[in-house]
Formats: sequence, C-alpha cells, structure tokens
Amino acid sequence: MSVLMGVSPLLLLVTAGLAIMLVDAFSDERSELAVVTAASLFVVAGVAGAMLVGELPAAPDVITRYLAVDRLGLFFDVVICVGAGLSALLAGGYLREHGFERGEFYVLIIFTAFGAMVLARAVDLLSIFLGLETMSLGAYALVAYRRTSARAVEGAVKYFLLGSFAAAILLFGSALLYGATGHTDLAGIQQVVAAGEADATLSVLALAMLIVGLAFKLGVVPFHMWVPDSYEGAATPVTTFMSVVVKAAAVAVMLRVLVGAFGDPASMGLYTGWTPIIALLAVATMVYGNLAALAQTSVKRMLAYSSVAHAGYILVGVAAVHEAGSFAVSSVLYYVAAYTVSNVLAFGSLILMGSKGKEAVSYDDLAGAGRRHPMAAFPFVIGVLSLLGMPPTAGFFGKYYVFSAAVQAGGPMIWVAVIGLLASAVGAYYYLKVIVYLFMREPEEDQAIAVPMQSIYVTVALVLAGYYVVKMGITPSRYLEWAVSAASSLVG
Amino acid sequence: MTTQYLTWLLAIPALSAVVVLLMPRGWENGIKRFSIGAMLLELIISVRLVLADYSDAGYHFVEHVTWVESFGISYKVGVDGLSLWLVILTTLISPIALYASWGSITTRIKEYAFSFLLLELGMLGAFLALDLFLFYVFWELMLVPMYLIIGVWGGKDRVYAAMKFFLYTMVGSLLMLVAILYLVASYEKLAGHYTFDLQELSTLVLPALPQYLLFSAFALAFAIKVPMFPFHTWLPDAHVQAPTGGSVILAAVLLKLGIYGFIRFAMPLFPVASQAIGPVLAGLGVFGIIYGAYAAWVQRDLKKLVAYSSVSHMGFILLGLFAMNRHGISGAILQMINHGISTGALFLLVGVIYDRRHSRMLDDFGGLAKVMPWYTLFFIIITLSSIGLPGTNGFVGEFMILAGSFFSRTPIGFGSSWFIMTLLATTGVIFAAVYMLHAVLRIFWGKVVHTENESLTDLNRREVVSLLPLIVMVFWIGLYPKFFLDKMNPSVDSFVTNFTVRYEEGRRTAEPRLVDFDELARRSEAAGALVMARPADEEVQP
Repeated sequence: MSVLMGVSPLLLLVTAGLAIMLVDAFSDERSELAVVTAASLFVVAGVAGAMLVGELPAAPDVITRYLAVDRLGLFFDVVICVGAGLSALLAGGYLREHGFERGEFYVLIIFTAFGAMVLARAVDLLSIFLGLETMSLGAYALVAYRRTSARAVEGAVKYFLLGSFAAAILLFGSALLYGATGHTDLAGIQQVVAAGEADATLSVLALAMLIVGLAFKLGVVPFHMWVPDSYEGAATPVTTFMSVVVKAAAVAVMLRVLVGAFGDPASMGLYTGWTPIIALLAVATMVYGNLAALAQTSVKRMLAYSSVAHAGYILVGVAAVHEAGSFAVSSVLYYVAAYTVSNVLAFGSLILMGSKGKEAVSYDDLAGAGRRHPMAAFPFVIGVLSLLGMPPTAGFFGKYYVFSAAVQAGGPMIWVAVIGLLASAVGAYYYLKVIVYLFMREPEEDQAIAVPMQSIYVTVALVLAGYYVVKMGITPSRYLEWAVSAASSLVG
Repeated sequence: MTTQYLTWLLAIPALSAVVVLLMPRGWENGIKRFSIGAMLLELIISVRLVLADYSDAGYHFVEHVTWVESFGISYKVGVDGLSLWLVILTTLISPIALYASWGSITTRIKEYAFSFLLLELGMLGAFLALDLFLFYVFWELMLVPMYLIIGVWGGKDRVYAAMKFFLYTMVGSLLMLVAILYLVASYEKLAGHYTFDLQELSTLVLPALPQYLLFSAFALAFAIKVPMFPFHTWLPDAHVQAPTGGSVILAAVLLKLGIYGFIRFAMPLFPVASQAIGPVLAGLGVFGIIYGAYAAWVQRDLKKLVAYSSVSHMGFILLGLFAMNRHGISGAILQMINHGISTGALFLLVGVIYDRRHSRMLDDFGGLAKVMPWYTLFFIIITLSSIGLPGTNGFVGEFMILAGSFFSRTPIGFGSSWFIMTLLATTGVIFAAVYMLHAVLRIFWGKVVHTENESLTDLNRREVVSLLPLIVMVFWIGLYPKFFLDKMNPSVDSFVTNFTVRYEEGRRTAEPRLVDFDELARRSEAAGALVMARPADEEVQP
C-alpha cells in the first residue's frame, strides 16, 4: 500500500466521489450531500496539507513517470480541495435556495476537482491531456448544469466549443513536441531540449501551441473570450468553482510545462525563451481584463473580467521565473492561494445577497443592501478589498509578492510591474463600485429588491474564506513557507 | 521591560474599532462615548511621549518585532523629533473631529465611529512606522475609511469625490510600491538578505539615475497627498463633499502625511535626486501658494475657499522643506502642525454655520458679528492665525520657512534663485490676508441682509469644547514656540547633516553600494565639515 501513499489525496478523493454517488442513488436526503462533499474535500486538503509539511512519501517509478509526487503537487491539492470544498458549501446554500439541487452536482464537483489535481501533478504529456480532459468535461457539465437557463446553455456551448479547440491545439502541440524530442515526459523533453538535440522549429511551434492551450484554460487575453459568458451563464457556485479550481490547475500545469520542460537556463533570458511571450500576455491580460471589467453593469460579469485580470497578475510571476527563480514560483503559488480565498469570498457574498426569486447579479441589485443588511454586506467589502489588493488582506500580500518577483527579475520586467500596478489601480474603480452600491446608493422606486438568503452553508463558507483572507494578510509567514517549500520542488 | 507606548497607540484604535463593531446599533450614546473615550486615551498616551529626552536625535520608544522573516518585513515603530508633534497632532485632532461630528452626523453612528478609529490607526501607524512595508500598509489602510467617510456621509456629489480621492491616491501609492520593491531588491543584491527596515535601507547608496526614478515615484505618491500643484484637483472636491469631521481630519492630518513621507523616506533615501528635483518641487510649491491664494479669493463657497487656502499653505511647507536647512525644515514641520490646527479649526467653524444655515455661500451671510459674537471671535482668531499674524502660530512657521528659503544654498537652476522664490512666497502671505479677510468681511461685517440669519444661535457647548483646545494651541505655539522647536531641532540638525553626507556619497557613486552613514555623519560632524552651512547659529524667533 505504501507505494500509493504518494497519490493518496487523489485516491481518497475518488473514493469519496464514488461513495457520494452511491449515497445519492440510495437516499432522498440530498440536502446533506453538500456537507459530505465539502467535508471530504476538506479532509483531502488536510491530508495533503499534512504531507506538505511532513516528509514526502517515496513513490515508485510507475507513478512518478506520469504524476509528480512532490510538494508542488501537494500545495495545489490543498488549494484545489479548499476551493472546491468552499464552492460545494456555497452550492449547498445556493442550489437549495433556488430549487435545483440534485446529487450529481456534488459528484461532478468532486470528479472535476480530481481532474484538476491530476492536471496539477501531471509531468507527462499524456497525463496532462488526461487530467485536462477529466477536468474540462466535468467543468462543461457544471456550466450547463442549470439547463433550463438559456444563458447557462449558451455559456456551456461556448466553453465546450472553444475548449475543444484549445484541447486540440494542445494535443497537436504535444504531438509536435513528441516528434521533436521523442519523449512524452517533461523531464525527458527537458533533457533533449537542453542538449540542443530537438528540432528547433518544431519545438518552438510546439511550445507556442502548448502555451495557447494552457492560456485558454487560464483565461488569458486573447484566449479569454469564453470567460465572461460562461462565468455569467453558470450558476454562481459553479462560477466560483471554475474561477478558483480550474484556474489553479491551469497555473500548475503551466509552471510544470514552462519551467519543467522549457526552463533550460541556457536558452532562457529576459529577452529570449518564453519570458517575453508570457510577459506580453501578462500585460495584455492585465490591461484588457481591468478595462473590460470597468465597463460592466453586472457584478458577476465584472468578477469574471476581474478573474481575467488576476490571471494576468499570475502570469507576471510566471514571467519572472527565469530571473527570480523559486522566489517567483512561490509568489505565483501564494498568489493562487490568496486569490482562491478572496474570490470565494467575493462570489460567496454575491450569492448571499440574493434569494429565491431574485438573485443578486447586477450592481443595481446591490443598491442600498449594505444599509439594509450590514452583516451580509461586510464579507463582500473584505472580498473586494482583497481582490483590489488593499492591506491587510491576502490579496495585498499576494500582489506585493508577484510584483516583488517582477522587480527582482529586473530589466523590462520592472516596467511590466509598473503597468500591472497601474492597471490594478483601474481595478479600484470597479471593485469600489460594489461598496458604492452597497452603502452609498438606494434602489430605484420600482425595482425588485434582492433580499439576502439565510443559509448556514453559505455563512460557514464565507466565515472560513474571510478568516483566511484576513489571516493570510496579517500573518502570512506559514503560508509563505508552504509556498516556498512547494516552489523548491520545481526550481532548486 | 519598558512600557510599549507606541504599540498601545496602535492597538487601542484597532481594538476599539472591533469593539464598536460589536456594539448594538441602537446604543448610540454608548458608541459615541466609547469612541471618544478611546481617542482621549490615545491623546493621553501620546502626550506621555513628549516626556522623553529628544536631545539626541535618535528614535525613541522603538519596538522591533519580526513580522515576515523571509522578506525581512518587521513591525518596527519609533518616534523622533520629526514625527513627535505630528503624532500628537493626530491624537489631538481625531477626538476633536469625532466629537464635533456628533453634532451633525445622525445616521449610521456605529460605522462612522468605526471608520474614524480605523483612520486614526492608519494615520498613527504611518507616522510611527520605521519599516517601509509597514508604512505602506498603514498608508493604504487610511484610504478605505476616508473613502467611506466621504462617500457615505458626504454631500450631494459624494460618490464622485470619494472615488476621485481614492483613485488619485492609489495611483500614486502603487508607483511608490514598485519603488519600494526596487529599493529592497537592490539592497538584497548587495547585502544578501531582504529588509524593509528604514535604517538598514539607509545604508544603501544608489547612483543618480535610479535615484531620480525612485524619488519621482515616491514624490508622486507624496505630492498627490500633499497636494502639490498640479495634483491638487482632488482636494477641493473631497473637502466640499466630506462631512465636517472628515474635512477636519483630511486637512489637519492626512495632507501632512505627504510632507512627512518626503522628510522620512524620499529625501533621506534619495538625496541626489532630492537635491536636484527638490527645487522644482519647491517652485511648484511657490506656484501653489499663489495659485491657491488666487483660487481661494474667487470662491463663493466658504468651504472651497478654505480648501484652496490649504493648497496655498501646503506650498509654503514644500518651500521650507526643500530649502534643505535647519530653519526651513523646522519651519516646515512646525507649519504642518500650525496648518493642522488652524485649517482644522476653520473647517470646524465652516461646519458650525453649515449646520445652522445649510449653506456655505458667502452671499448668504453678512453681519453675523451681531448675531453670533462668540462665533465671530473664534473665527477671527483662527483667521489671524491662518494668515500668520505675529503672536499666533502661523507667524512663527511662515517666518521660519521664509527665513530658511531666503538663506538656502541648494543650487536651483532655471535662472531662478531662492531670493525670487522667497519674494514670491512672501506675496502669498499678503494674498492670504486678502482672501481670508475678504471672507471675514462678507460674513461678519455689515448689516444682516438675510432675515433667516437673524435668529442664528451662537456656538453651543459642543462647539466651544471642540474649538477651545485649538485656540489654546494657536497662542501656545505663537507665543512660546521654543517648547515645540526644542524637541524637533536635534532631529532636524541630524537630518540635515545626514542628508549632506548622503548627498556627497551618492554623487560620487556609479554603482550601488552600502555605506555606514551613521559613522560618516559622526565623522563629518566632528570635523565640522558641513557642506551646506546653516544660515545662522542663533535661534530665529519672533
């Protein structure tokens, strides 16, 4: 059994998923599935967390050839499971309130999270594709889950079509890479590329295609077109799930591919290798994401564009990896963790502000809600302030960390940091608009008023997320250590 | 173990804010009394700080606790002659502003008190922080409560004004963040470890070009806060829309943080750039003096008039600061306190008539001296202090600044000289008399033309209580400034010495390197080899 210890979080989660499927088939008591799902995800997160701080179990070759057993994988296990668990809790409140709770939703959450975890550990082109497809299929189904809603179906179809194209491009890139190097495992590819034995044209083409495929999953401009529609169309807990879990896995695999396979120091530099491409994508994403978010009238869509912008900040850290090394990798990891809890807090608060018959979606729905229900509005304030990067929140520390890595990298990366921070100042406008509507506006006379829902699940999720948002902002040391130790498994 | 006064100074508003948040909404009097009580306790603790011996120019009451070890971020606070009076100004103005607010703020008492306590925490933290990261945290922390105070309790266009305030300040401070990160990264390359500690970072000498860039980034953040012309446009909007209490804090304390940032961080860290760019900033300050005075003169709205007068007064402070000698800098610091007192009081006084008449237009008044004699007396005292009549605090500060500027030897370029700058600034003093006395004339003198003004009541107890401490300070500083100057002079002297030494080192350097400046400063002090000699050895005093 000990040979399986290395992947025990994955096995545990699958077991839990199967068990929940069975429970769902044989019981009518659906309401508790949210708790069971969230609890299993948190347990897996706990197991992974314990392994992260403890000793790494040895794993046989047959596993590590496809799935890494390292701290980076464990770190993403924790982030993904916490994000998924909190989303499941939000769903427990949301789905029941709006009357379309069914058991398969939770099973989908678990299996999609499983796919994301596989993706985050994948070190072979085959397992990358398997993980990606497992995750994506679940995500397509989750977006389409509210099938009576035309917008949800529209979002799902868009996501599915564009996602399939992206997967095809990624697959094509993988094939080219195999052709160029004769390897499917990233370590092997790295060796061949570093030795200069790979066909240069083919490997560059392959790298470009892999970046396109992964950038799509991450929602990076110009591959972000599906993000606003499917984020808006999906039920809000699904949006939460996608914005944290899918994104985290995409970041993980991007790090593994770029640093693991193409991180050869000899061919990398501020102006060579993939650094300029990633930096350019980061700039485009930060600028476009923030400007587009500015123009939105729907809070949900604004948060969708803001998640595009955040993908840009993450890429800043990725682009700094070559010069700033593990400092940059750990900054990316910390950012992903901070973004996960902050985003759950913001989306969860949006869920909380509406109830049956009237969901809170647009800014107008929030008008005056803070005056009427201050306690319900409070987490929203913390959430947007963290996304904006105000101290003392997790978001501030995350932003500080990635931009610090960029400045560390020096040269043109400093200007990337300047552009990024100025773009994030634009964010102040639309994030604060939430606060403006909550506290400084009153609803129009004839407008239907969204009443906050009462749900213990949502409340628990918000308290947990809010606690970590503040904790990671005030006492970040422990999480920094985790990120640093996880980063060291990728960059020595 | 010594008492950790500074930590208490920061802990009390933080804890009180949480307590206020937990108090039941209906318990309005309890919330009011509790928040004022907490702020008075702050005042008492901060007065205790005066008792330390400030003759040695070092930091006092220093506390140093590691916060995030791997980044070299620490909780390091301390107070010296440069920050002492600003801390006390903060703890003095905060309860006054909050207490005065209870006359006019009637909705959402709890959130108001919460915002004010948080604001006090941010301001004090920024004045006390000796770690750049900590400073930045507090600097940003101030934004949100002030944004809420303007946006929730403000006037008609409050949302616009609040947003403008927030965005202006935020853009500036984000560039400062990049500069801080660059500074720390450069330090790390030489020293091998990260630190945000100001004293450690002060050992780093950068060549001219990075100094220019970093200084510009810092200066932008601080100039927006000051606000220096041409970054001042958020100020009139914010002031006009903010509730009285918010305006008082904004004018009296928040603006000072910009100047304080220059003194504490931008100038010592980047002396070469500061020496070169400083005169330009001083020139913009002089332009601001005249521009602000003209703009104030043409205002019909009393609050806007006071807001523009702030632009004018802050110009004086910039001038004194970049004169780079003892009198200029001491004068600048003293004038910060003076401006805090007199402009804070002016905003309180504007609030008084606004509460009664719901108008601040000069045309709506006239002949108030007959109706509200006490109000008139208070207003005139503060006016005289604001325009710098001898015997009031404003005179001392402005005189020192002008003397410092007149004797300044910082090279200035552009075919200009400190003499011309001083001359122009002096005309600003005259303009100040013109616009302030013009307003006094329109409001208080003449006949009561509007019948609704005949029945206005004079100052009530709350208003007298909130104004009286400020009136006392006006005369205390005006008649016996030595008490205040003695505490700050050693720090100012060592600031000037250190600046000179740093400047010389920085000018000669082509590569970043580390230098022990304290050692150099001691040596150059011993040799008496100050490049920029002080204008005169005797005290400049009225």
